[in-house]
Amino acid sequence: MKLLVAVKQVAALDEDFEIRADGRDVEADFLIRDVNEWDDYSLEEALKIKEAAASPVEVVAVSVGPEDADEALRKCLAKGADRAIRVWDEAIEGSDSIAIARVLAAVARKESPQMLFAGVQSSDHAFASTGVATAAFLDWPHAAVVANLTYTPGGDTAVFRRELEGGVLHEMQIECPAVLTIQLGINTPRYASLRSIKQAAAKPIEVLSLQDLGIAAPDVGESGSLSRVRRMYIPDKGRAEMIEGDVEEQAARLAQIIKDAIGGAA
Amino acid sequence: MDLTRILFEDFAPAAIGLFYVLACAAVATFGYGVYVQVRKYGRGVPVAFSGELLARFKAMLGTVLTHRTIARRDRMAGGAHRLIFYGFLLLFLGTATITLDYDILGPLFGVHFWHGKFYLGFSLVLDVAGVLLTAGLIYMMYRRGWLRPPKLDYARPDRQPADPDYDRSAYRREDWAFLWTLVVIAATGYFLEAARLVWLADKPDIWDTRWWSPAGAVLAEGLRAAGMTNTGGAALRLELWWLHGLLALVFIALIPFTKVKHIFTAAGSLMLRDPLAAQRLPRVPEEEKRVGAQYITDFSWKQLLNLDACTKCGRCHEACPARATGAPLSPRDVILSLREFANKTLSSADLPPEVELDVHGKGPGQVAMETLWACRTCMACVEVCPVAIEHVPVIVQMRRKLVEEGQMDPQLKKTLQTIHKTGNSFGESKRKRAAWTKALPFPVRDARKEPVDVLWFVGDYASFDPRNQKVTQGFASLLHEAGVNYGILYEGESNAGNDVRRVGEEGLYETLAAANVKAMAGAAFKSIVTTDPHSFNTIRNEYPDFGGRYEIQHYTTLVLKLLQEGRVKLARKLGLRVTFHDPCHLGRFNKGYEAPRDILRLLGCELVEMGRCRANSFCCGAGGGRIWIPDPVGADKPAHNRMREAAAIPGLQVYVVSCPKDLTMFEDALKTTGNEGKFVVRELIELLREAIEQEQAAPTPGVVAA
Repeated sequence: MKLLVAVKQVAALDEDFEIRADGRDVEADFLIRDVNEWDDYSLEEALKIKEAAASPVEVVAVSVGPEDADEALRKCLAKGADRAIRVWDEAIEGSDSIAIARVLAAVARKESPQMLFAGVQSSDHAFASTGVATAAFLDWPHAAVVANLTYTPGGDTAVFRRELEGGVLHEMQIECPAVLTIQLGINTPRYASLRSIKQAAAKPIEVLSLQDLGIAAPDVGESGSLSRVRRMYIPDKGRAEMIEGDVEEQAARLAQIIKDAIGGAA
Repeated sequence: MDLTRILFEDFAPAAIGLFYVLACAAVATFGYGVYVQVRKYGRGVPVAFSGELLARFKAMLGTVLTHRTIARRDRMAGGAHRLIFYGFLLLFLGTATITLDYDILGPLFGVHFWHGKFYLGFSLVLDVAGVLLTAGLIYMMYRRGWLRPPKLDYARPDRQPADPDYDRSAYRREDWAFLWTLVVIAATGYFLEAARLVWLADKPDIWDTRWWSPAGAVLAEGLRAAGMTNTGGAALRLELWWLHGLLALVFIALIPFTKVKHIFTAAGSLMLRDPLAAQRLPRVPEEEKRVGAQYITDFSWKQLLNLDACTKCGRCHEACPARATGAPLSPRDVILSLREFANKTLSSADLPPEVELDVHGKGPGQVAMETLWACRTCMACVEVCPVAIEHVPVIVQMRRKLVEEGQMDPQLKKTLQTIHKTGNSFGESKRKRAAWTKALPFPVRDARKEPVDVLWFVGDYASFDPRNQKVTQGFASLLHEAGVNYGILYEGESNAGNDVRRVGEEGLYETLAAANVKAMAGAAFKSIVTTDPHSFNTIRNEYPDFGGRYEIQHYTTLVLKLLQEGRVKLARKLGLRVTFHDPCHLGRFNKGYEAPRDILRLLGCELVEMGRCRANSFCCGAGGGRIWIPDPVGADKPAHNRMREAAAIPGLQVYVVSCPKDLTMFEDALKTTGNEGKFVVRELIELLREAIEQEQAAPTPGVVAA
């Protein structure tokens, strides 16, 4: 029995950052890397199933990304994942969530897990589509924003709950294999101590190329994507002003602001 | 025949034989007990000790003979224990002398020395010893029964009354049985002596020398005055002989099984003392599979011996800031719990299965995680323990296990992850570490790019906390004006790791220490200075284990030197009434008591000490990573406790600190205890700046008007 967990090494912005010369991304030097927060929860969910299981369960973490994604995978290994797979090829650069999903689906076909967990979204790009797109490529049933899961390893179905608007819960059953995108708060992710992370450095990370997965280069990267980034930029900041003084002064200031605004628009 | 006491006088051979059989049985029981204890200790992890055995023995002997540690902060208890100790020691040596004469030198070589003048002097000395012993014991009874100091209350803050190991009455019974047994042994000894004198009153050489046993003689006079005859004396003497003898033998037999064993365990513990127990925590060997202490057998045999050395004197219980503010922790109870646990699991011939050796939890003898996380690692317990029990490493080793399992406060977990990611506890970008320098009118050298005399290790709080940044800038100005050639590591510096290590995140600590050692290896400097006592401690005491050996000082010693050399000039005297809070890591940890006080004197401040100062300083509550763990809402905090203590000083104007975390903790506590406006909290550097600057815009003296 196998559970596949998709993880992403996301980027957070450092204090003062600069946009790349081509204007389509932030200069890599200004990015702080970390595991996508949602993926901590999906890995934890898989580990919980593994630990509660009577029969052996293998938890495999998979990431699509360059070498620095190893850090995220190592954290997964530190926490208790049995194996880690990283897929990379220069051609993957520039992929959108659909192209990444194509790669993940190929890994899933190779590994044939009972279930694939992905985070609801990634904190940096927030497409919230990688998981469900993977399901589409696999032609597996899927469910998004899972907030509670009951699954006995080896079972043909899983029962889960999804949070809907207004505090309503959706309890559903799904046929396995399936793709679930996991919501924050479904569990309490464990702490990966530095010692366990260091020890995980000795564990191997399988690196797969597009060839290994039988994917043609044009199917990934910009050519394999349904969308592309045109421009990344910082919008002009909105302004706010606290108007002080007595009623008369406040009214005068307000009138001035309106006049300025109209004047500016004209 | 020269004057002596005839042993077993008028005893039937069978009675003498019986006594020897009983004596051998007592010694055998004692020996078995020692074997069981030693077997128990042997189940701990082996440890290698630095320092020569002889030097360690001498140090121990000095402590024991002077009673230095027992008399600290409790002179009466120390004095009474001294009486008991010396009384007991003399009586033991006396008995040993008789054995040497009667059972060894006599039978083997026909040599006897226990007679004549020596015998008379011997009698006098032992009579006096008995009086000392009894006086000490009676004071201890008075103390336990009537004075009842709170530290002798065995009520546990870490248990509820319904818990199976809440009840400590067995300890109380043992305490009293111990005192009474010794008192009765001493009393029967005197009456035995008196009865013998009455019995042999007809023999002039004995009766005429009776005042060489003054206590016995007084009692003998009394017995005779009450009408006791020679034969009455003989009968009483025989009865008391057996009672006294049997009690003494039972006492000896029970030593390894009762608190009496502290005679040996406390001495052993003192011999194995690690003077840097809390300052330099033990490393985890690279090859070690498991981290920290999960099972009782994960402690070293020295630590298991430590557990048995505890005499429940309650000084750690009294000194602990967590305990004082109602947290479920008493260092005493951690030690006693583990001792009970070790006795239960490690005393039999076979080691129970591992699952029964787990010391974590809420069962009898186990230590709960709430207890472990309540510790501030302030070292008050280690510092005050008269028998050199080292609580802090025990607690941290247990925390390491909790950290490995992620059993910690979510806020703490987050902070550790943040430190791993960014190298600082504020979650700020590395680039911003030296942002405070931008406000200065002069540049601060980058020690990575040019050689400096003094490398300033700034530390997290001093770098990122906005309130502390002002102090940091003040210190930079001071160094600049004094013409010190100094520099900082800019973004090359990481959190020093002192508190990370005390949390129990050893892996992260190793990473931080290695990063800083590497960064400092890339800089050329002669010595290091820091305003942060936490960084000071770990760089000074722990970095050497990671290959980083430096000369480092806290800013207070550097500034004092600059003042004395006239490189820092004071424009005026401040004339403030101040008190000084010794930071744990500067004071207790590294004995930096004098420099800040000397500076305050040079600043023209009137220093009024708080009751708890210097080695007995009271932790602000931020140590051991507690600054990253929210305190329970509404609960009293150590900093509050401290503010109330300071507020009791009449006319106090400034509460002076010399630690970034102290500034944060106490400025907050000043407000929450409603003392705002009565006095202010200031970093010593701020007072220095006020005294240095010419203009009279100083904010602090404004308080004088209030």
